[in-house]
Amino acid sequence: MQIFFQTLVGGLSLGAVYALVAMGFSLVYRTMGLVNFAHGNVVMIGAYVASTFYLTVTLPFIPAMLIALAVTGAIGLVIERVLRPLENKDFTLMLIGTIGFGIVLEALATLIWGATGRAVRNPVQAAPVELLGLRIRTYDLVVLAVAAAATVALVLFLQRTKRGAAMQAVAMNHEAATAVGIHVGRSNAVAFGIGASLAALAGSLAGPLLYVSPTMGGTLGIHGFAAMAIGGFGSIPGAIVGGLSIGVLGSYSAGHFEGYSELVTFLVFTVAIMIRPTGIFGETTVNRA
Amino acid sequence: MKLPDVPTGLRYRLAALAVAVVLACALPYTLGAYAMHIVDVAIIFALLALGLGLAMGIAGQVNLAQVAFFGVGAYATALLTTEAGLGFWTAAALALLISLAAGLLVGLPALRIQSHYLGIVTLGLALAFLNWIVNTPMAGGADGISAIPVPPLPGIDLSDEYLYYYLELTVFTLALAFGLFVVRTPLGRRMRAMRDDDLAAGAVGAEIPYLRMAAFLLASAYGGVAGVLYAGLIRYVAPETFSIANMFLLLAMVIVGGRQSLWGCAVGAVLLFLAREWLADFATYAQLGYGLVVVVMVVFAPTGLAGIPRRLRAARERRRTGTRAVLRDFQPYEPADRATAERTELEIRNISKDFRGLRALDDVSFSVAAGAIHGVVGPNGSGKTTLFNVISGLYRATGGAVELDGQVITGARPYRLSLLGIARTFQNLRLFEELSVRDNILVAMDRTRTRSGWRYLVWPVGIWRQDRELRRGSEALLSRFGITDYADTTPGSLPYGIQRRIEIARAMASRPRLLLLDEPAAGLNGEEVRQLAEIVRSIRGSGVTVVVIEHNMGLVMSLCERVTVLASGQVIADGTPEEVVASPAVIEAYLGGESMAEEPMALPTEVQ
Repeated sequence: MQIFFQTLVGGLSLGAVYALVAMGFSLVYRTMGLVNFAHGNVVMIGAYVASTFYLTVTLPFIPAMLIALAVTGAIGLVIERVLRPLENKDFTLMLIGTIGFGIVLEALATLIWGATGRAVRNPVQAAPVELLGLRIRTYDLVVLAVAAAATVALVLFLQRTKRGAAMQAVAMNHEAATAVGIHVGRSNAVAFGIGASLAALAGSLAGPLLYVSPTMGGTLGIHGFAAMAIGGFGSIPGAIVGGLSIGVLGSYSAGHFEGYSELVTFLVFTVAIMIRPTGIFGETTVNRA
Repeated sequence: MKLPDVPTGLRYRLAALAVAVVLACALPYTLGAYAMHIVDVAIIFALLALGLGLAMGIAGQVNLAQVAFFGVGAYATALLTTEAGLGFWTAAALALLISLAAGLLVGLPALRIQSHYLGIVTLGLALAFLNWIVNTPMAGGADGISAIPVPPLPGIDLSDEYLYYYLELTVFTLALAFGLFVVRTPLGRRMRAMRDDDLAAGAVGAEIPYLRMAAFLLASAYGGVAGVLYAGLIRYVAPETFSIANMFLLLAMVIVGGRQSLWGCAVGAVLLFLAREWLADFATYAQLGYGLVVVVMVVFAPTGLAGIPRRLRAARERRRTGTRAVLRDFQPYEPADRATAERTELEIRNISKDFRGLRALDDVSFSVAAGAIHGVVGPNGSGKTTLFNVISGLYRATGGAVELDGQVITGARPYRLSLLGIARTFQNLRLFEELSVRDNILVAMDRTRTRSGWRYLVWPVGIWRQDRELRRGSEALLSRFGITDYADTTPGSLPYGIQRRIEIARAMASRPRLLLLDEPAAGLNGEEVRQLAEIVRSIRGSGVTVVVIEHNMGLVMSLCERVTVLASGQVIADGTPEEVVASPAVIEAYLGGESMAEEPMALPTEVQ
């Protein structure tokens, strides 16, 4: 039982990172129906920028993170602008276009930071917390807290601000939104920018948990994507539940199947998505003839 | 038969092909050992690209596991020769079977999910495969498996990469020819239809589940063959060859070359592979470059290099021909002997349909006599199209039964209903946009089953004969509907009225017994409506029962023998047009309330 809960707790922090990645995916997907396969690579860029300012420029962790947010937000805007002609049109082309951006970002990261990657020092040097016989790393708690705060901020933004409401409207029906005077392009750009900033948040938090390298984007991206699919495309609560599930699932399969954990995670994911294609909170899409 | 300019075109094409073959055969004489090696590997990537092109470009199945099929083929060959001690060719045959099994496995999710979901699942499964070969001791981990034997061939030493090139060239030529044959004959045509619009494809009889599996089988077959050739050429396999980075490279090859053209896929593969090798010392810059090329291609040339000549030709033809193509008159069908009536063709019994608590159809019952033209009218949102979707199998009814000539057909898949003789058109036109008008017709005309696809392997000549037969039939249908002039254009570029007529022609191509027309007159002008009435009457005259949803009351009154009126999902009237129009319930439903009905009859806009 002890081991069971320890494994659960161990999966939560990475799960929170996946949840942030999935939220970025979701936000972009719901506003413009675009699945951004470059998102994982944006996370990687975020991780590199944050770690560079934290380790090399020796800024404190928080300002380093904020700089990463700004940088990736700008990258998000560029991707959105370039792929705008394809929005709400050919899905496969958009998918491949974002994969193209992913390749570019990975190459850029390799050119700037080298192919080898780096370890990031843990910014929270406190001793692990003992709780009901479970050892919880303080940094894990910080990750969970930041993820929770970001979720609350995002939900408040979407529900309480005018810009957020406009984005919701675009998500529901972009044509009707245009008709009531919402600038859909600008709204999409904002969604993309925020989504990319969430990616940087996820990336900078993941830095001390994982190893920062140009290829981390692929792994984080596909896990975050799986998290969004399990939770339901475009659903914010779904992203959180999906992210934590994938994190915990990974933690258990790492415990039981060791090297084969990824194999097991993706097989379970495939079966889950076949049983319930719309995910936990997803909406059934009706075919319109 | 009107094929005026093909002979010259064909002659050029055959000449080009002959030159290509001669050049390909002569190539090794001009290359050094290392260049020969690079070309050998490039051909393997071209094979992989063909498989990916068939799955993604032709069948529209997002397949990001192509590199895993490649890996399965290569690793199976390696393990079966080194561990199990089998001969190379026995191992190769088994490896191909194992790849096909992997194709079926990866294709399974496609039965439930599509597009982005399918992309992520296939990518996840590719990662799972990589994870397995890196970890399992049997596959040698990151070191891989070496000492794979040289494929034996009497009289030819295949350890010589120059000679291996000719083996590869032969396999590649056969694979390309087979792929092109598939694309141009019934199986590939159905796949292309499914790619453009899977709902409409199902409604004209394409067995969507089998077609999706067939797409993955084809992709895995090409992947498996490439894997076997790779194992025989390099005689060493390691996980890095089958990485996700190579999957994305493969994707880039297909996009740059043009995913809907197999020639394009092959050319893209060879170009990109050679470019990568040429820039091997600047690998990261090369990666940056091909990433940018993919983005630029996707935005500015979505059909890839292969699409450029066609786009140029289309632009030139637009300028040249102008108004030569004309919509000709419809030539009526031969009237059939009116069946000894009284038979009920379609029986709707207590059909209900709920959408998450919203009741779209509520206990709808009526029957349609054989050989009748039956109208279904009602205000917008009254459930007419939902009813058609239930009858044609797109929706599953919540309750009740549909009977076709006494046989219960409720809940059957659309393609099965199409085979039973139900055809339909769609309110918002669902033609296959990337297929020519002729191919649109051919897809529906072809009544053979995907199951008979094994004949592609055993007796392609039979397929070819049958396809020629179909084409002859399509000429007759095209000219009957007066659309011969448009046979080779894509429907999207044609005026709306012509598209409507093509859709009816496509529905009739499947030789149905029951034809469902969903607002066939929407958007037509007066003359076109008159032609439509003539066409529908002739179709009925040939023995087909017609059910038509229509807002144009003039058309309904003149065309239909019986009319069923729906409002809020319920049948509120059923009878001859005169009875129905006089019914108080109908007047209330259209004009909303008693008080309005007392005012002079200002008919609602939809009723003309």
